[in-house]
Amino acid sequence: MQAFSNRPLGELVRFENVGLRYGVGAETLTDVSFAIEPQSFQFLTGASGTGKTTLLRLIMQALKPTRGMIALFGQDTAQLNKEGLTALRRRMGIVFQDFRLLDHLTTYENVALPLKVQGREEATYRAEVTELLSWVGLGALMHAKPAVLSGGEKQRASIARALVAQPELLLADEPTGNVDPSLARRLLRLFVEMNRSGTAILIATHDLSLMDQIEGARRLVLADRRLEVEVNHD
Amino acid sequence: MTDRSDQHRPSLFAFLWSIPLFKRDPLVAADKVTDRALVSVVAIMTFLAALTLGAAQFAAGTAAHWQVMMASEVTVQIKPQGSRSIEADIVKATDILRGTSGVTSVKVFSRDESAKLLEPWLGPASSIESLPIPRLIAVRLDTAAPPDLAALGKTIAETVPGATLDDHRSWTKRLGRISDLFLIASLSALVLVLAATGLAIVFATRGAMAGNREIIEVLHFIGADDHYIAGQFQSHFAILGVRGGLIGGAAAIVVLITIHLTGRLSAGLLEGASLSELAFPGLQIVGATMVVVALVGLIAGIASRMTVHRTIGRLA
Repeated sequence: MQAFSNRPLGELVRFENVGLRYGVGAETLTDVSFAIEPQSFQFLTGASGTGKTTLLRLIMQALKPTRGMIALFGQDTAQLNKEGLTALRRRMGIVFQDFRLLDHLTTYENVALPLKVQGREEATYRAEVTELLSWVGLGALMHAKPAVLSGGEKQRASIARALVAQPELLLADEPTGNVDPSLARRLLRLFVEMNRSGTAILIATHDLSLMDQIEGARRLVLADRRLEVEVNHD
Repeated sequence: MTDRSDQHRPSLFAFLWSIPLFKRDPLVAADKVTDRALVSVVAIMTFLAALTLGAAQFAAGTAAHWQVMMASEVTVQIKPQGSRSIEADIVKATDILRGTSGVTSVKVFSRDESAKLLEPWLGPASSIESLPIPRLIAVRLDTAAPPDLAALGKTIAETVPGATLDDHRSWTKRLGRISDLFLIASLSALVLVLAATGLAIVFATRGAMAGNREIIEVLHFIGADDHYIAGQFQSHFAILGVRGGLIGGAAAIVVLITIHLTGRLSAGLLEGASLSELAFPGLQIVGATMVVVALVGLIAGIASRMTVHRTIGRLA
């Protein structure tokens, strides 16, 4: 994988006093403020139900905040139209907790999807996708469909799909939640390598041992509807 | 690991797969039951629409044929006039007719033949011998250079009192009106069938998009725009529509040509038509059916496009 060049400087994500309320109940998230810098590595953590997935969905613009300001890649998302939103999403890679692979497509087709939807001809990305699949250890399964993949293989396919368009920001929701500790370590190394090649990483997890493996990674801790930023100096 | 990978498709299959009408669109999960149901519905609708159009075409053609036949023949009727000899009047009338340019043949119906024509209303010829039965003369005209019928009728009426010339104009007009009404009814049925086809495609598209909601969401998150996603669904359902249209159209062509060639429709109606008039019915039927198939394809494209764009906005 090649390192990225000509990266725009500035924050990839900025939340300012963001609050989110579902319906008329109490706020799920209150006064959340933080930023994600280019090429940074951070964990989003907190107990179950504290709003990790909700926060990720706010970043990926699946949810709109009730109040506050969210800027992505320097653009206020409140001002975004559909075309602008699509352009921003193309700069992000997303690893879903439940993989969200398309069951009727092969592993190769799933991983190539972000490039295909951008209108690229298959001939221009075939080698790239094949190389990435080999890199995540799925080279022999590129023609297999998700139904025959194990949980770990699905997770790796999902990660490969998130990485294939060389995003500037990778959002991963519990990427090691469905795999054994050994595979979790391997997947984490994958993220570290991606980060070294220039992608900012945000991993939502409640696995403390996983977070302890990355020195200097920031921890965005959600508790009692609020977010605190900690730095692991180990 | 090979058992977990798809096998290479044989070359013929790969070739068929490369043809758009056979190609499964990879981004829309094919629901075989729904897809087959839609193809079947569209095929049936196309079949009915093509049959309707074929029937309308047949009726219009038959009416036109009748009109030509009626326009090429007139009838002179000579009523008995007291002491006048009807046979002498017939001779006078036939002389005038034979001497008129544009008349190709003159056939005088004998008293027995005339009585035979009245038999359904008045009973056996023997029982009406004493009645003053009008006599008929059938006159064939040169349709390329017909005579002036008004002048001919006037001459006959002046020469033979009680003689009238019937050019069947009122019948021709009535036949034309009936033919027009049948055509309007057929075209209305065609429009309704095509509208039903469009609705079937709308509901199938809407259902499929609701069923593929998660796929649409994933496609949005990985950077697909509405235009791209809409294109995937639109082409999927338009192809299904065209596929159904072609199947229904082919079936309609087979049935229409079979009906025509076996003469089930034409029996009795086209009596008197020459063989050359019946020799090539297929071309018109094929042409009309292809028009229906093209209309179904167009409707499938428009219906799926409209539905996809409306639904995708809601799902997004």
